[in-house]
Amino acid sequence: MTELDKLQAIYANGGMSRRDFLAGIAAIGAGASSGAALLSGQALAETPKKGGTLRIGMEGGGPSDSLDPRTYADSIPIAYSLALMNGLVEINNAGKAEGELLESWETKPGATEWIFNVRKGVKFSNGKTLDADDIIYSIGLHTGETKSPAKGILAQIKEIKKLSPNQLQFTLSDGNADFPYVLSDYHLMVVPNGFTEWSKPVGTGGYSLETFEPGVRVVLKRKGDYWKKDRANFDTVEIRYITDKTARTSALQSGQIDAANRLDARTVKLLMKDPKLNIVRTEGTGNRYCFVARVTDSPYDNKDLRLALKYGIDRKKIIDQVFTGFATPGNDHTLDAFYPYYNKTMPQRAYDPEKAAFHFKKAGLSNAKLELQTSEGAWDSAVDCAQIYQESLKKAGISLDIKKVAADGYWDNVWLKVPFCAVYWGRRPTVDLVLSQVYKSGSSWNDSNWSNAEFDKLVVAARGELDDKKRREMYFRCQELISEDGGMICFAISDYLDGYSKKVMGAAPHARYDLNDQRIAEKGWFA
Amino acid sequence: MLRIIATRAVLGVLTLLAVSVLIFAATEILPGDVASAVLGQGATPDALKVFRHELGLDRPAYVRYFEWLSGAVRGDFGVALTNGRIIIDEVRPRFINTLFLAGYAAIIAVPLSVGLGIVAAINEGKFVDKLANILTLMTISVPEFFIAYLLILFFAVDNEWFPSLSTVFPEMGLGERFYVTTLPALALTMLVAAHMLRMTRTSVLSVMSQPYIEMAFLKGLSRSRVILKHALPNAAAPIISVVALNLAYLIVGVVVIEVVFVYPGIGQLMVDAVSKRDLPVVQACGLIFAGAFVGLNTLADILAILVNPRLRKPR
Repeated sequence: MTELDKLQAIYANGGMSRRDFLAGIAAIGAGASSGAALLSGQALAETPKKGGTLRIGMEGGGPSDSLDPRTYADSIPIAYSLALMNGLVEINNAGKAEGELLESWETKPGATEWIFNVRKGVKFSNGKTLDADDIIYSIGLHTGETKSPAKGILAQIKEIKKLSPNQLQFTLSDGNADFPYVLSDYHLMVVPNGFTEWSKPVGTGGYSLETFEPGVRVVLKRKGDYWKKDRANFDTVEIRYITDKTARTSALQSGQIDAANRLDARTVKLLMKDPKLNIVRTEGTGNRYCFVARVTDSPYDNKDLRLALKYGIDRKKIIDQVFTGFATPGNDHTLDAFYPYYNKTMPQRAYDPEKAAFHFKKAGLSNAKLELQTSEGAWDSAVDCAQIYQESLKKAGISLDIKKVAADGYWDNVWLKVPFCAVYWGRRPTVDLVLSQVYKSGSSWNDSNWSNAEFDKLVVAARGELDDKKRREMYFRCQELISEDGGMICFAISDYLDGYSKKVMGAAPHARYDLNDQRIAEKGWFA
Repeated sequence: MLRIIATRAVLGVLTLLAVSVLIFAATEILPGDVASAVLGQGATPDALKVFRHELGLDRPAYVRYFEWLSGAVRGDFGVALTNGRIIIDEVRPRFINTLFLAGYAAIIAVPLSVGLGIVAAINEGKFVDKLANILTLMTISVPEFFIAYLLILFFAVDNEWFPSLSTVFPEMGLGERFYVTTLPALALTMLVAAHMLRMTRTSVLSVMSQPYIEMAFLKGLSRSRVILKHALPNAAAPIISVVALNLAYLIVGVVVIEVVFVYPGIGQLMVDAVSKRDLPVVQACGLIFAGAFVGLNTLADILAILVNPRLRKPR
């Protein structure tokens, strides 16, 4: 599936204007002017040029950042780490898993046993050649007694066996057809076997560490002789910590930096007019904004009321007013159109006060008190979103009380504790992780308390299903079940907005992270 | 006179001690201690117990306070919780950066505003007086980030004269440092000028109504001579204390300016530590801020005593 197909899928679903669609194509075209080859991750017809200093201004880190992958939690550590080291599996611009240090893989029916081939001829910065033991050690950092956030997703690994210096066999406790995607997690960076001195990183990446001043800047120098021939093209990469959005924007405008992440949706339209800048927008893969009702609490245990609440939200108005258009409507589940199993055939739910009124009447709960708890602690514009929601429900004859609560302690005291509240979800690497963490019965993060026997069975069956067509059908059905019956009103998914100077090439949208999967240091070059 | 100065100094130290108790107590009162902040969702009762013992949190508060204080006096603030780095090593370069920026701003702001204040007093009610007042009041009446953004807009984006990023690096020379920090220094100057200018003007004018000034005029001296020679020395005390107050502000109150200009000062470090709940770092920054504030004010008191003959010999 090409990037263009994806865009078409988004727009076919999303009720976006034709103009936005064209703008989206332009964004891709600008980033991949040298052809579709870039998007499929293959060698480019036009060879990238070497040289220059890339200065990136970023938000998403602070003075406490370290070089130990077990501590990573935000964008800047991910960016410098991907320049210094390599992961096991890379996600390409089309959202597919590709070999990185694990070059290729195969599995047996049932998807519990996986054979991975370790890439040959790759050298660490200390001269050691990569082998299977390094991979085992690097994964082992995140299992057992560790505080690593990757511990949870690796719990399914029962055993890792070295078959040869360049081959590994993973045995999982249950089948998982998406296992290579699990290994793309950004914590899973590869270091030499036995490596412990994190302040002096040793990796297989395209750059080496020159200066490390967390909270201020990280400077990286090209090593030369990188195993990815067309990548790591800059002589020097300088990542500057610029937490203030306005400071980042003005530094980009005045040419003090060449790239910036997390542009402000409120001002990005003005930046698009700047002839020196190239704004790259990745549509609808950022935060998923939701209002979540617990289906075990009265009155939200009534399915018609939940449908009324879903039809009664004016997604377009919220996106236009709160996100100034830079978000994509959600379809009442937290999957986005870049997942390979996103249900494109399910119509996008739109604002329909009549249908909302119909279901509300059918529910027969005209006296029920509906109270939505919201806070800036959920996300910065959660209160604004709730107010527009309240307004749009009123047109359907439904009255909603909004209770604004303290931002401090919101996730401890409100989320998972009250019947109806504002929540945002981040992206997960696989459909299975989304469905089993957010919606499956018994999951501790299932915030709507939704429980559906058919859904639970489908999720488990699809996880081990290797027939793509059958799996697709199962996941499509899962999405229908959530959207029809679930307690979540997922109304918007934010866009990634990156800013680049026009001379930076190789800047393309990527579903996983902004700044081209946080790999612009490796994937980009100067014109 | 020595006794008065000694008293002032002792009072300063006592104030600082009281502040240190407050800082320590405030971080004690916060719901959840350091151990639960670090462990987060993984805080099982067992893990908490072990971790608290490891950090020595199971001992009485006063014991820990004196340990912390005696460490702090020797410059040892312990290690940061988030990344295990030695706090003083992290704080020192940041604090030096903050002092550099404050010093740069002070070099511009103090002579400028005291000078303008005197000029305004000499020309009381005239155009110069009104202009100086209006301009400085305007700059103090808008939020500091607004001034900062205006400066960036005019001097960095529209005309690329100065960089909008004021980050300084160890390898930078002194000249380059001054160049990149010009915009934040100007923003700070605008913030503190009004206060000092008006205080200078007011205290000079209040001395002007004294009988001995009238005497000086009757002798036939010019207005500027009367002000510079006779009024100013007696008006110095309040000016010194307002200057000290503003210097202290330049050190402790510049968090917003540091964030907007991406300047690696101690304010930004403290904000980051607060958001990560790194309490030892917060405590260290708090104590350093308090030290700067109390120290400068004590110094101002002492200087005011030294320059004023009447304060030197209390009745």
